[in-house]
Amino acid sequence: MEIIEKIKTNKSIDNQTEIQKICLDKLQSSPLPNPRSEQWRLSNKSKLSNFLDYSVNENYSKFDTPYPKNSQSTVRLIIGENCQIKLIEKNYSIQQLSEDELHKYIKEQISFFNQNEHWSDLLNLSLSCKNNILGLKINGSKIPPIEIFSHASSNSLNAKTLIIFLENNCSVDLLQVNLCEDNSSLSQSTFFCLEENSSLNHGVVSYGVNKSNLLNSLNVIQQKNSEYNLGSLHFKFNYARFEIRIKQSEGNAKTNIKGMQITKKDEQISTYTKIDFDGPNGFLDQINKSLADDKSHAIFEGSIIVPKIAQKTDASQLSRNLLLSNLAQIDTKPQLEIIADDVKCKHGATISQLNEEELFYMRTRGITLTEANKLQLSSYFQEIIAFIPVSKDRWDLLDKLLNEN
Amino acid sequence: MGNENLVKDVVKEPYKYGFVTDIETEKIEKGLNEDIIKLISQKKEEPKFLLDFRLKAFKKWQRMSEPDWAGLGYKKIDYQDIIYYSAPKQKDKISSLDEVDPKLLETFDKLGIPLTEQKKLTNVAVDAVFDSVSIATTFREELAEHGVIFCSISEAVKNHPDLIEKYLGTVVPASDNYFAALNSAVFSDGSFVYIPKGVTCPMDLSSYFRINSGDSGQFERTLIIAEESSSVSYLEGCTAPMFDTNTLHAAVVELIALDDASIKYSTVQNWYAGDEEGIGGIFNFVTKRGKCLGKRSKISWSQVETGSAITWKYPSCLLLGEESVGEFYSVALTNNLQQADTGTKMIHIGPKTKSTIISKGISAGNSKNSYRGLVKMGTKATGSRNYSQCDSMLIGDQASANTFPYIKSQQPNSEIEHEASTCRISEDQLFYLQSRGIEFEEAVSMMVSGFCRDVFNQLPMEFAAEADKLLALKLEGSVG
Repeated sequence: MEIIEKIKTNKSIDNQTEIQKICLDKLQSSPLPNPRSEQWRLSNKSKLSNFLDYSVNENYSKFDTPYPKNSQSTVRLIIGENCQIKLIEKNYSIQQLSEDELHKYIKEQISFFNQNEHWSDLLNLSLSCKNNILGLKINGSKIPPIEIFSHASSNSLNAKTLIIFLENNCSVDLLQVNLCEDNSSLSQSTFFCLEENSSLNHGVVSYGVNKSNLLNSLNVIQQKNSEYNLGSLHFKFNYARFEIRIKQSEGNAKTNIKGMQITKKDEQISTYTKIDFDGPNGFLDQINKSLADDKSHAIFEGSIIVPKIAQKTDASQLSRNLLLSNLAQIDTKPQLEIIADDVKCKHGATISQLNEEELFYMRTRGITLTEANKLQLSSYFQEIIAFIPVSKDRWDLLDKLLNEN
Repeated sequence: MGNENLVKDVVKEPYKYGFVTDIETEKIEKGLNEDIIKLISQKKEEPKFLLDFRLKAFKKWQRMSEPDWAGLGYKKIDYQDIIYYSAPKQKDKISSLDEVDPKLLETFDKLGIPLTEQKKLTNVAVDAVFDSVSIATTFREELAEHGVIFCSISEAVKNHPDLIEKYLGTVVPASDNYFAALNSAVFSDGSFVYIPKGVTCPMDLSSYFRINSGDSGQFERTLIIAEESSSVSYLEGCTAPMFDTNTLHAAVVELIALDDASIKYSTVQNWYAGDEEGIGGIFNFVTKRGKCLGKRSKISWSQVETGSAITWKYPSCLLLGEESVGEFYSVALTNNLQQADTGTKMIHIGPKTKSTIISKGISAGNSKNSYRGLVKMGTKATGSRNYSQCDSMLIGDQASANTFPYIKSQQPNSEIEHEASTCRISEDQLFYLQSRGIEFEEAVSMMVSGFCRDVFNQLPMEFAAEADKLLALKLEGSVG
């Protein structure tokens, strides 16, 4: 809990920016989230404390990306690399946000923060130095795919922040990869603002090595007629927590989420989602899958909030879970809070193991047990992986997952 | 759009059980301390083990704090401003119903509860509880012939102290939660049922709870024990007069089912819900839990919750015995400013256990109706199954319907399925029914009744009719 001690004495960072000061001040009175609160009650306290045990690393260190960049048109950015980007083409432009714009936006966001719910963001913004904040403004059409990497180096706590404004009418494929080395912690906070008629296909792939930790927070604001598609995959973390907060600020927007988390050994990975419909005619289709093996623990908590103004909302949430070992455990809590009466809202949850009849069928056709298991898992994974915007010839995520499991 | 207002209008229905019986009562002074508990125990001539149980619970209660996780908004309760014992004055011991104050009999008559023996045809034995004490229990001799014990818990303490000592607090321990601890310290009366081995109870058993006094709380305790291969169906009903103050009702119900035994527990809860402004009404904080101790035992909860200003109630099943079964069927209707946070807990501990949850919530007016349930598969619950279905119906755009299912599994060889949906009374369906000549009011009533059908089918016949009527009454009103 090295960081917390430092936050208490407000000596964590030298040369604090104004944003860091505001966040540190907010954290000082109660530096840790309330373990009894609904958002944190299932979180493993000792693992969270382990996350905070490393000292902060603000410097960029080189690392190997999981696959080479071979397409000329792909835009690849690494947070913290001190990259300057200003791409102004005929059809589109990708530019960095000015310091003033960043400052204004973050300050506005912080004003809505609730200590428990946004603790991960408060921690991130109090530790994230200027170099580790990447802000982009994207507009135009025929925008090339974008890849953004965040990396945590060994024996350190790294904080990276990403802010993207997607301007009116533009459509982008964005893959975000979070990589953690051995014994490292990564605090990643992402803020997206999708303006009217824009569309974002977003993929998040996060994985670590041994004893890697991740606090990944994603905040999305969707304006009218925008579409946000998220495919996410989290695996190989001692402790990982993925928080998704989506607000359809004026309704009339579409959100599709397909997420998966895979836990083994004594890992704990959790996904928390909160979808706010602040206007009518909103749409949500969400599937979250968990697979827990060995002594691991997978958690999903999803909440859908439909106030009076959000008439004609159509929201569905499904939590599907596979429990593969006697010592593993799964907690799931899909919840609905509805006031508007003319809505279609539903949720579902299942927990079971791999289907034995299917296994038996395949084995009677001469397929070995290992192969049959692999086939079953691949069909389970495929639904999510197909939703992540990554070209298969460069990075075969399904093969990677099947080899790891 | 006009229909929306009509729907809102038809859910307004005056509370018809709101009268007060003018009867001389014996009350003790307000407040809660060790002396009060000793006084209650002394009035009931209880053995020492029970007084110790109460005092221990009181000590635990003092160290606990009122739960706030359900997010129910209500004025802080002053526990020292409540009378913990109130009983109608009558002769010490009632040997026959003729000795019961006629006013009391009249009260229960007005409520439609058959206390007089000539109403035998209904074939339901009733234990009537008025404020803090049990007034009368019918059909006792007939039941005794089969070895069934059905009496008030105070009598059971005197006549069967061994059973009470063995089972009281084993399902809901005093330290279980704040309201259970309070009940354990001050419970005044309630019902006791013991079904011996191999006996199928020849008639339905029923308790009827009536709060009459405005400043006293009601803290009843029910204990039902079903021995091996026995079965019983138990019904519970409740009403209260209209007061502009809130009255506290904190009950505890414990059920124990041994090998092959089956208990069916049905409730129609119609406490006074407060007026349209939310003034008055009962705070209903109840802990109900059943333990399926034996192999192939079965506990089934069915409830129709229409009353109370605030309902905080989670009838649960601990499924310990191999192949034991737990069921929960619930309809909760809230209107005006009522708040209901209700659901169930199905804790699968033994192997091959099964549970089913069907919950229907109807929210109207400015009310808040939440389903909160837990399904847990323990490490030894191999081959266990759960199925949950929670549906909500919203009437008007001011009411809220929430679903909070907590699902936890530690056993790979088990299956959990949960689904929830939300709907409203659609214009199309109303139009269809009305075009077939069905009155608007009846059409709404039919749709609500159809929505609740899965649950009503599970209620014993007497109650199913009552529940249907109750919902229809709530939906009856000024159709313009």
